[in-house]
Amino acid sequence: MQLEIKEITKNYKMGTEIVAALRGISVNLLKNEYLAIMGPSGSGKSTLMNIIGCLDTHSAGSYLLEGADVSKMNDDQLAEIRNQKIGFVFQTFNLIPRADVFHNVELPMVYSGISSSMRKKLAEEAIEKVGLTDRMKHKPSELSGGQRQRVAIARALVNNPSIILADEPTGNLDSSTGAEIMSVLDQLHQAGNTIILVTHENDIAAHANRVIKLKDGLVETDELNHKHFAA
Amino acid sequence: MKSLHEIKESFSIAYGAVKANKVRGMLTTLGIIIGIVAVVTTMTAANGLGNRFKESISVIGSDVLYVSRTPWVFSGNFFQFRNRNQLTLRDGEKLERQLHEAKAVNTRTFSNQNLKYRSTVLENVTIIGTTENHVLVSAGAPQYGRFIIDNDVQYKKQVCVIGWEIKDRLFKDVDPINKKIKIGRYHFRVVGVMEKLGSAGFFGGPNFDRQVMVPISTLMKCFGGRNRNFDIVVKAPSTEALYDFEYSVIGEMRKIRKLAPTEENDFSINKMDTLMAAYNNVMGVVILIGLVITSISLFVGGIGVMNIMFVSVTERTREIGIRKAIGAKKRSILIQFLFESSSICLIGGLIGLIMAYGVTQIINAFLLPASISPGIVIIAIVISVMVGVVSGIIPAYRASKLNPIEALRYE
Ligand SMILES: Nc1ncnc2c1ncn2[C@@H]1O[C@H](COP(=O)(O)OP(=O)(O)O)[C@@H](O)[C@H]1O
Ligand SMILES: [Mg+2]
Repeated sequence: MQLEIKEITKNYKMGTEIVAALRGISVNLLKNEYLAIMGPSGSGKSTLMNIIGCLDTHSAGSYLLEGADVSKMNDDQLAEIRNQKIGFVFQTFNLIPRADVFHNVELPMVYSGISSSMRKKLAEEAIEKVGLTDRMKHKPSELSGGQRQRVAIARALVNNPSIILADEPTGNLDSSTGAEIMSVLDQLHQAGNTIILVTHENDIAAHANRVIKLKDGLVETDELNHKHFAA
Repeated sequence: MKSLHEIKESFSIAYGAVKANKVRGMLTTLGIIIGIVAVVTTMTAANGLGNRFKESISVIGSDVLYVSRTPWVFSGNFFQFRNRNQLTLRDGEKLERQLHEAKAVNTRTFSNQNLKYRSTVLENVTIIGTTENHVLVSAGAPQYGRFIIDNDVQYKKQVCVIGWEIKDRLFKDVDPINKKIKIGRYHFRVVGVMEKLGSAGFFGGPNFDRQVMVPISTLMKCFGGRNRNFDIVVKAPSTEALYDFEYSVIGEMRKIRKLAPTEENDFSINKMDTLMAAYNNVMGVVILIGLVITSISLFVGGIGVMNIMFVSVTERTREIGIRKAIGAKKRSILIQFLFESSSICLIGGLIGLIMAYGVTQIINAFLLPASISPGIVIIAIVISVMVGVVSGIIPAYRASKLNPIEALRYE
């Protein structure tokens, strides 16, 4: 089991008011699953992704990542989990503007202490996988949106994580560029990676083999994507 | 290994950040620059002055005691010495006879007279009446000619040995040996020229090159022997024995002066250390002032750097969020910003060092020989980096504590 989430809740304090973003969510995920999370805006998709990615902590319930209890970890242990087991792809790319493509991609390995010759080799491999070998020395500002998202994907997979998390990865891209990004994710899935994808577009969700729909912080439906298997 | 990579990363981040904010960084480092210039210049000047001072009093000799009526340096009331009897020639003779440990004893007396050679006049020159023992107790030796000998003293000969500056002023390129000069109303024959001894004039002390030495007996004959004050110069067996030797000298002098056990000494023992101590007192104050200026500038500079670092942290909130999202620990972020603040201060420190080098060249050209020692360079660098670390610590800590999600959401 890649991850086991049981009855997770998340409350945000807004002054005196308490916002319940997640109200008891249970999800189990197997290795090499390709999961799409859908739902209307404000339904808790990003909150759930952040908790799965150990960027945020849940209020109640339990979360085991590869058998390890995440709720018992301190900030530095969580940082290590994010570094080793999670690969993030954000809607807004979140690349470091001053650093070039190569450095952005090698950065997770800097924080995991890999030697620079090894970093060079692995970063170049990851960049090749997303087809940006000829843009290695470019700054993010010199790249198109689709290329930036490819850099983000290369960065997400460079440390060989257990799960790749993509929160609306095509949200800032036009549909043809979005399709290109999706084909990169599909390839990663075929290569054996576990992927969780947030989207509110049906044709994006169609790439996944399982779809969970959230509503008001609860799981509304959780079903296999038959269309996908039919295709 | 792991932190080594992070440190390298921090270094390149700091480099990029400093490069991207050149003007802002320059302005904030002004305080650091001034502070480093102040500390380096103070220490270099103090060093130069110290060397100059030691050099100029080296003719005094570190193993020599000067028995005089009054101390060279004293704090408080001069009148406490007024009732002391003068030291006499007899006191000197007795001490020479009784103080067996002494390597040599020389009794001297002084007079101020005008010098004249042809039409050139030098006013108010120190004339030292001394004996052949002078060269045994003092470091200086004649450069040309000879010193005063036993025979000169015995027969009260009107011969003199002149200092380097006197030779320059009166004779220029002429060979002074065997020339006649006038000291006061009397003619003296120049028999020797002392080597260059240096001057403590910079510190308000005597100029050893602007002196003329004559036989003590001749000085008393020409310029009066009554009511005259003498001092007695005694050389210890070694510099190490000086402390014990001083006790012997005091003991003998008390016997000679017939002091009862309850009476205080009516003479003073002077030595090079006394001058060194007085000098160090003055220098201590100068250095203190320098350090106060330094501290204030560094403090102001440090506040400036802290302020810039807060700006830098805020500007890069999102970057901090990204780094944390991909696995940077608190420590990594902390190191990153400490590196940045230290680099800014280090650059300030290096600029300060370059400017201090310029100031030192100016001091060198117009005041006294001074050079920046490697030790001072290291101190300056250590100080700048420390200011960087201290002023960066709060902003860096704040950055390291940022919540990754909030940081990522920051616009
Ligand atoms: N940091 C926060 N503070 C307060 N409320 C929050 C915070 N983050 C999310 N929320 C609230 O939690 C709910 C779920 O948000 P989110 O997970 O971002 O939704 P989605 O990604 O599905 O659009 C929303 O009502 C949102 O306003
Ligand atoms: Mg969202």
